[in-house]
Amino acid sequence: MALLDIRNLSIDIDTAQGKIRVIDKASLNIVDGSIHGLIGESGSGKTLITKAILGLHNSNWTVTADRMFLGKTDLSKLTHKERRQILGKEISVIFQEPSSYLDPSQKIRVQIESVLPKKTWKQRFRLILTKIKKVNVQSRRLQIKELLHKVGIQNDVAVLNCFPHQLSEGVCQKVMIAMAIANSPRLIIADEPTTAMEAVTQSQIFRLLYKLNQLNNTTLLILSNNFANTSNISDYMTLVYCGQTVESGSYKQIMGSAMHPYTQSMLKTLINNVQFNEHKAQLYTLPGNIPSSNQLPIGCRLGPRCPRAQKICVENPTLTTKKGHSFRCHYPTKVS
Amino acid sequence: MLSFLLRRLNLLLITALILTIIAFATDRIVSVNSETVVNSNGYIKQYFAYLWQIMNGDLGYSSVDNQSLLERGLIFFASTLELCFTALIFSSIIAIPLGLLAGLFRNTRLDYAIMTIAIMGLALPVFWVGVMAVLLPSVWGQVLPVDGNLSLIYEVPVVTGFLLIDTLMVTEQYELFAFIDRVAHLILPALVLSFFLITEIVRLTRHSMTMVMRSNYIQAAYAKGFSRTKIVFAHALKNALPPIIPQLRLQLSTIISFAMTIEIVFNLNGIGKWLFISLKTGDYLVLPAGILIISGFILSFSIFIEILMVVISPLRRGSLYADK
Amino acid sequence: MLINNGFNEDKIQSPLGYIWSIFKTKTIAVVAMWLMIVLIIISLFAPWFVPHSPLAQNPDSMLLPPYWVEGGNTNHILGTDDLGRDSLSRLFHGLQLTLGGALIITLLVGIIGMLIGAAAALTKGVKASVLHHLLDALLAIPTLLSALILITIFGPSYTNCLIAISLSLLPQFIRSSFLAIEQELSKQYIVAIQLDGATKTRLFRYGILPNILEPTVTIINRLFTMAIIEIATLGFLGFGAQLPQTELGSLIASSMELIYLSPWLVTFPGIAIFAVIIIVNVFSEGLRHAVLEGEE
Repeated sequence: MALLDIRNLSIDIDTAQGKIRVIDKASLNIVDGSIHGLIGESGSGKTLITKAILGLHNSNWTVTADRMFLGKTDLSKLTHKERRQILGKEISVIFQEPSSYLDPSQKIRVQIESVLPKKTWKQRFRLILTKIKKVNVQSRRLQIKELLHKVGIQNDVAVLNCFPHQLSEGVCQKVMIAMAIANSPRLIIADEPTTAMEAVTQSQIFRLLYKLNQLNNTTLLILSNNFANTSNISDYMTLVYCGQTVESGSYKQIMGSAMHPYTQSMLKTLINNVQFNEHKAQLYTLPGNIPSSNQLPIGCRLGPRCPRAQKICVENPTLTTKKGHSFRCHYPTKVS
Repeated sequence: MLSFLLRRLNLLLITALILTIIAFATDRIVSVNSETVVNSNGYIKQYFAYLWQIMNGDLGYSSVDNQSLLERGLIFFASTLELCFTALIFSSIIAIPLGLLAGLFRNTRLDYAIMTIAIMGLALPVFWVGVMAVLLPSVWGQVLPVDGNLSLIYEVPVVTGFLLIDTLMVTEQYELFAFIDRVAHLILPALVLSFFLITEIVRLTRHSMTMVMRSNYIQAAYAKGFSRTKIVFAHALKNALPPIIPQLRLQLSTIISFAMTIEIVFNLNGIGKWLFISLKTGDYLVLPAGILIISGFILSFSIFIEILMVVISPLRRGSLYADK
Repeated sequence: MLINNGFNEDKIQSPLGYIWSIFKTKTIAVVAMWLMIVLIIISLFAPWFVPHSPLAQNPDSMLLPPYWVEGGNTNHILGTDDLGRDSLSRLFHGLQLTLGGALIITLLVGIIGMLIGAAAALTKGVKASVLHHLLDALLAIPTLLSALILITIFGPSYTNCLIAISLSLLPQFIRSSFLAIEQELSKQYIVAIQLDGATKTRLFRYGILPNILEPTVTIINRLFTMAIIEIATLGFLGFGAQLPQTELGSLIASSMELIYLSPWLVTFPGIAIFAVIIIVNVFSEGLRHAVLEGEE
């Protein structure tokens, strides 16, 4: 069952040089309880897609979509108030460079407390009871402690009394994750959660996210530019190139029978992929560069760099779907 | 913290020394002009003598009425400060909310309206507004007094030099009338001075608010589903307001400069008018005294603000120990 | 809607061109720019096209109101003063001294201040330290006070007034440009340029200068505004332009006694100063916005 279902999402941004279509008919289908990797080079529009999902876009954006559903709620028709009900409770976000996403003038404790669900009168009543009877009912302090322990922060008291600038990026990210899971949301969007972190911290964070998925059955959407790293923990993957979703499918489909030339080239870049690497052969890269956003090619945007491009590629290819494996290409072929 | 304080005080000392040199130089040049002092000692020796004099609180005596320059200057400067701080409080009350609104609703009609008002405040020359304000009574009738610090019927002994406080001390004699009279005398000049201050504060607040609202943690707060009001009050204000203070501190000398002009226009007994009148009557010795009093105040005030900022803002405290 | 054109040969605009194209869309700022050009031309060529000499006295028409008020005539559009001198001509001449002086000050202080600010930011050690303490001390003296000191020493005249204002505005400008450059210096790409072995001049020209456009516009605007206000203030206090010369501030001062008889004489120069500052501020605000949007 699809938790998040997006069809033909387009984003146009007004600039001084006219409208630029940065996201061109992107589709995303996230299965409930899975880890979904959204993979694309930096500048390919991954963050823009999530901003459109969250509804956090600037006024000069035009967002259009055929379908944009989270479970049964239509994300494109929400009022501000309804959206706020969903954000933080049903969808949580984890960002890259976490320290800049924490308020520099507040202690971590205050910030975590602010995302916890508001005390209801019943809870307040019980809190008073606890003080009288000394019964151990879960208090907020314990709740915070538990959250921090869940994300692997042992010295919780010390961290809680710190300001963000006193903590390392890894710890900040863990705090962000703790804040994200505080309301046990259905979907967590992780926007390049490990960029600019040490390898050890990276794997810690990834293991943590994986554990969340396994234990709480939380759906994860992981945005990354690192194909090798993300593909390991993803159940499903979607590849983005210049704002177009080129191919999407399960781990097995992508790794085993990739149809789109871009996906294939990404596969070839995996170093441990022995199949493509002869002894002393050059490492593979796609020729050319990513075009700048005001000089996007028409049709399939991979066109100028594609090894299999032909005349017809100046038109946008339609989406082909076979058994949940979908791709946009005029000349899809499996590499044997 | 201690090392920080020591470093600050060290800076204060060096800067203060430079200021005394400037004052000394002015003193010499001015004395040569008036040809009253003939001194055969070397300049360095003279300078140290001058420094010693300053340390003993002796800035010389007026060549016109032979009164201690330090004493008179301080009394006049106190009423200048009174004017400045009244204007500062007045304009903060108006400008900070306006600036916050403009920053919050950036590039909307509200923002444009507020910024238009702000630019107008800057563009109106202070002395001209003062002249126009002096004109007011002839148009609207005598509502607010436009000349002097206090009506002449009240005799208030100088205790602190701040007339607002001094008038409160003579309540047995005049009840609150002297105080009210002083406030009435302050309103118009303070209003005129706040024209400039409002512009400055609106700009600073708006800029700071815009920067904060663009920052990542505000984005994150939106993503957490907080309402706009909550974000502004819980996150934005606390980060946007402190940076304004040191920025405003940099404007202190400009503010005092404007206050001095206003005093001359409104005929207020402040340091500006004192310097102006003394210079017109040829009492040039007030210049070094004026330099020492005004810039001494600005200097110590800025150090005070800097220490205050370190106490207020956790971020600055953090950067204290890093590098340098 | 066709978004991509067939032959995609648009050149990526140069940053300055891009900023200009944004600036052109801001109507008010463009209007302000043209008004500013007109003002500069007026202040340059005032003597050639004013209807009367600013000093020509006319005992037949003294204290005339502007022509739209009863008693005024179109010969003297803005009326005359107590000696029958034409207000409009005096205003234009006053503008010449005020605006022209402010422009000269801005140009001089801008160039010298930027150079010193850059030198202070790019050098370290004793030289920079001395400069800083000196600046701190100079910044603690209010502009009006330092102008008073310099004028007391050199005597009141228009030129001395300009020099005094330049000297008193210089520390402020150095400080602002120093702060802007300092902020830029801490960025990563500057380190990259330094690692390339760039000399200080190259670093300043290619690394810093293009990136401090926005703060530069702001501080130059501020410098200009303050220069106008200071010139007018000193003129008003009688320390600036001396009598036969007409300057907006001294125009106001000289007609102070006539304020109840003919308020126009005080009003118009004030409005002129106000208009000049507004125009320049609107222009620079538009420019600053264009730069900001262009950098985004």
